[in-house]
Amino acid sequence: MITSTTRSLITPSGNIPFPAYIPVTTFGDRYPLDKLIQPYLPRLAKGVMVSHHYAKEMKQRPRLPLLIDSGGFAALFEGSRILEENGLGVLEVNRGETPERLTPLMVLEFQEEKADVAFTLDFPIPPGIDQTEAERRQHLSIANAIWAIRNRRRKEMCLYACVQAWNEESAARCARQLVDHPFDGFAIGGLVPRAKKWDLIEGIVSNVLAELDGRPLHVFGLGKPEISHKLFGMGVDSVDSSSYVKLAADGKKWSDPDFYLEDPSTPELLRLAIENLATASSAPLPLAVKTRGLSQQPLF
Amino acid sequence: MKDLVLNPVQKEVMDYGLLSSGFSCILQMPTGSGKTWLSSLAIRQTLQAGHKAIYLSPLRALAEELADRWGNELKGFSVGIFTGDYGPQGRSMPVPYHQADLFIMTPERLDACIRNWRSHWSWIPKTDLVVVDEIHLLGDAGRGVRLEGTISRLRRLNPFIRIIGLSATLGNRSELADWLDGVEFCSDWRSVPLRWRISRFRKADEKPELLCREITVFRDRGSQTLVFVQSRRRSEALAKHLCSQGISARYHHAGIQHSERRSIEEAFRSNQTPVLVSTGTLEMGLNLPARQVILYDLQGYDDGQFSPLATNTVWQRAGRAGRPGLDEEGEVVLFAPTWDKQVENYGLGRFERIVSGLRDRAAFQEQVLVEIHSGMGKTRPQLERVFSGTLAYQQKLPLPLDESIEEMTDAGIIDLHPETSDFILTPLGRIAIRQMLKPETVLQIRNFLDSVTELSFFDLLVAAAATADCEPVISVDYEELEKLADYLAARRSLLFSKGSTIKSPSSGKRLLSALKTATLLLDWTQSGDAQTVAEDFGCYPFEIIRLKESMERILTAIASVQRLLDPEVEGEEDKPKSPSLRRIELLRQMVISGLDSESASLTVIDGIGTVWARKLTGAGIKSLKALSSTSLETVVALGGISSKRAGAWIAEAQTHMDSTPIGDSSSGGAVAVHPSIKVLGVDPYRLRRAMELKTSRKDPSHWTVTGGLDAHIVGVTSTTKHEEALFSCDCPDNAKGHTCKHILSVRLFQGDKQISHAVKLIREAQQDTSLDLFHLWFSR
Repeated sequence: MITSTTRSLITPSGNIPFPAYIPVTTFGDRYPLDKLIQPYLPRLAKGVMVSHHYAKEMKQRPRLPLLIDSGGFAALFEGSRILEENGLGVLEVNRGETPERLTPLMVLEFQEEKADVAFTLDFPIPPGIDQTEAERRQHLSIANAIWAIRNRRRKEMCLYACVQAWNEESAARCARQLVDHPFDGFAIGGLVPRAKKWDLIEGIVSNVLAELDGRPLHVFGLGKPEISHKLFGMGVDSVDSSSYVKLAADGKKWSDPDFYLEDPSTPELLRLAIENLATASSAPLPLAVKTRGLSQQPLF
Repeated sequence: MKDLVLNPVQKEVMDYGLLSSGFSCILQMPTGSGKTWLSSLAIRQTLQAGHKAIYLSPLRALAEELADRWGNELKGFSVGIFTGDYGPQGRSMPVPYHQADLFIMTPERLDACIRNWRSHWSWIPKTDLVVVDEIHLLGDAGRGVRLEGTISRLRRLNPFIRIIGLSATLGNRSELADWLDGVEFCSDWRSVPLRWRISRFRKADEKPELLCREITVFRDRGSQTLVFVQSRRRSEALAKHLCSQGISARYHHAGIQHSERRSIEEAFRSNQTPVLVSTGTLEMGLNLPARQVILYDLQGYDDGQFSPLATNTVWQRAGRAGRPGLDEEGEVVLFAPTWDKQVENYGLGRFERIVSGLRDRAAFQEQVLVEIHSGMGKTRPQLERVFSGTLAYQQKLPLPLDESIEEMTDAGIIDLHPETSDFILTPLGRIAIRQMLKPETVLQIRNFLDSVTELSFFDLLVAAAATADCEPVISVDYEELEKLADYLAARRSLLFSKGSTIKSPSSGKRLLSALKTATLLLDWTQSGDAQTVAEDFGCYPFEIIRLKESMERILTAIASVQRLLDPEVEGEEDKPKSPSLRRIELLRQMVISGLDSESASLTVIDGIGTVWARKLTGAGIKSLKALSSTSLETVVALGGISSKRAGAWIAEAQTHMDSTPIGDSSSGGAVAVHPSIKVLGVDPYRLRRAMELKTSRKDPSHWTVTGGLDAHIVGVTSTTKHEEALFSCDCPDNAKGHTCKHILSVRLFQGDKQISHAVKLIREAQQDTSLDLFHLWFSR
């Protein structure tokens, strides 16, 4: 639920004040740096996003609001299939010998168990896709969203409907079909492959905002500070991204584009990720972190 | 919180908001000005904000006190204590790591945690505050480096951590604050001002009387005196002397059992004891003020020589003077000889600069190893960046990274990963890290084991005690040399037996100490009675316990190194244990449990540890053989064991009857020691010096002796009824009543039979490899 005085989302695990940069994290052993950063997230962020796939490996939930997406982006994996069953979209993900099935019911049940904020099962529409397929994917995304809101049992869990589109007009159309349902918020997906086309992004976001009635709007995956600040300026309430840690892994930091650390050690990676997250979320850092910069010059 | 009346210092710190500023800070404040209270406030604020805090205490005793106190005061928070007294070999931890909110630790325990930081990731990121009490310990040769390394690593792992460093004596407060990217604060306010006074003496033997006079004045006013001396022996002797003069006094030092020390402290605190004579143990931590503090000795004995006390040390001790609320001033009396002008500088309070211990190469190499092991610096550029964050770098001290890497690579301590080219630890390097030993210790062990095929228990203990990591160092007094020679002659050794060609693991005073330590530990394994062994060897039960702890690590490392050196056997998946390895493991168990070899061998049985081994030994089941032939009922009757388990033990003991038992080496021989006074009939040290001198006749009853610093004249003073000449010499040694080297040289010159025979024995002994204890004593 959104509060009226200051814009924030009330979740069972605490409020998320807007605008919010939501860091993406993973669980399990695939990305060790994520494991190291997780304990620091409550200091730097107001919530944390995790994909459905990695959320299944979560042993201990973080001490802040947990946002769990549907895992629908796996539709982009090679060999994955989007099927229609009883009017709903089902995803078959190619993860080796046995394909993994993802249905709206499985997603919702899992989210109701773990999540403070959940996102409906949607299917990304990459640029250049066949028009028929694009429309099919959008139609199934909408169907899944409506099914989820009608079948949600845990009312305190915030449920966001996912908007998938290929241009401004299709985005507006999608939003119109969802806005009359009692979703707690809306989320636009599929913008990452279009990140370089700011005009398109701006158009899609504007059109969706125009259809909404003040309920929160989240944008998936666009976490670069300069982009997220623009989005916030337009009225977007939250974004999520794993770029803060990807950039750290490359030895770079957002606060200093000229900075580059070759072959950072584990603590250095951690430090870079923390700095990047602080930059993205405008969270304060101790002075010692700022002054004792990671040196790039030979010192001995 | 109750309404508290803050003293001016506390108020100033609060007004500046230093504790809640979020910055690290160095607080330099005199003893007794309320540092502990400020620490507890900072800690409380941190815990209330939902974070965790660490308090580092250099003393286990102080850690215990604070854990008790804060456990009661900080209701709703979990206070854990983590020192060497707790853990696998000690008491069980009252609060495990993952549950604690406040960690009261020694720096060594925190170091161990940070070296294995991945295992402690449940609490490290949640920690917001580290209070480092007595932060001047950064300058301590041994502990300082590890503290510096720990702080550095912790800050890299948790950028949110802030450090509050406390001390009364820092000469470079700003520099330390800069290192921590923090702020500094200083106050010299004391609730009871100090009055400094120098009490002069001409000769050292005047000091006891001087002390009595000083104390009597205060005692008559009903005040108490705390006397600081340089050694444990002196503290005991002085206390005894004072008592003999009708002044009630007790002594205090680290050799006393912890519980007894606490009762002595309590008696002093409650005014039951007017005078306490102490070593440096009371200069830190505990609240134990006195109206008067006397620094009886202004010299310390360190690494074989005397040197003036540092101003920091003098002020730490002086800080005990003056009881808040009771005294208008605290008197500090410095005992100094009449010629000492430098003593006047102490009162000026110009504290020494705290210099990083990383300047020591061995210490630096250890830290390089720790960084590689912990994964925090695996390449040369990464290690460069790591050490650029140290205090040593801040102080522009040389940090020989390249040379150290090269040395350790050549020595086989580190290597390069074949695929990634990252630095990795070799098995030898891992041994050093696991047992928290210096690389040089592990290398010393490796080189030594590599050079021998067999060693006795005694040899192994000497090798272990000769390493830099063995502590405490048990010193040997000159007066003990004869007794030590007797002890040694009864030991079996391959290293020190007649004709041995094996190179000794050490030399000089270090070797002497190692010999005594080895002998002491072997006695410990025979009796298991720390009190008796301590009395026999002129040390303290506390030292034996500490020795046991460090020996456990070193002997474990020796076993690990031996395992590496043992050859592979074709066709066998696991290397079989060589007799040498089995001997080392048995010795380790003997030292841990204070049992002889047969009794200690019981511990090879799964489920029999030290406690059960002692129990079985006490019941007369003193070996595996005895256990294998014992009845089930006999073992069960000991209590605390089921028939099933007892049966399993007996069965397992029987399986060991097939293998060759391991005990001490039967090779080698008795330790060969140079002829002693008893054999020589004269002081061996003076005789050896006499052998280096030249004597020439001056006239029928006078000789000139040269070759020393000055020439001396020896003359005949009288003749005995057996017509033996009695000599006198103009040197100070003879003036004190000794038969000096000059007289011995003249007697040798005269062909004195006793002296000539003694010289002959010495020369014969010099041809072989006998231990010359007197020579060792006088070496560096």
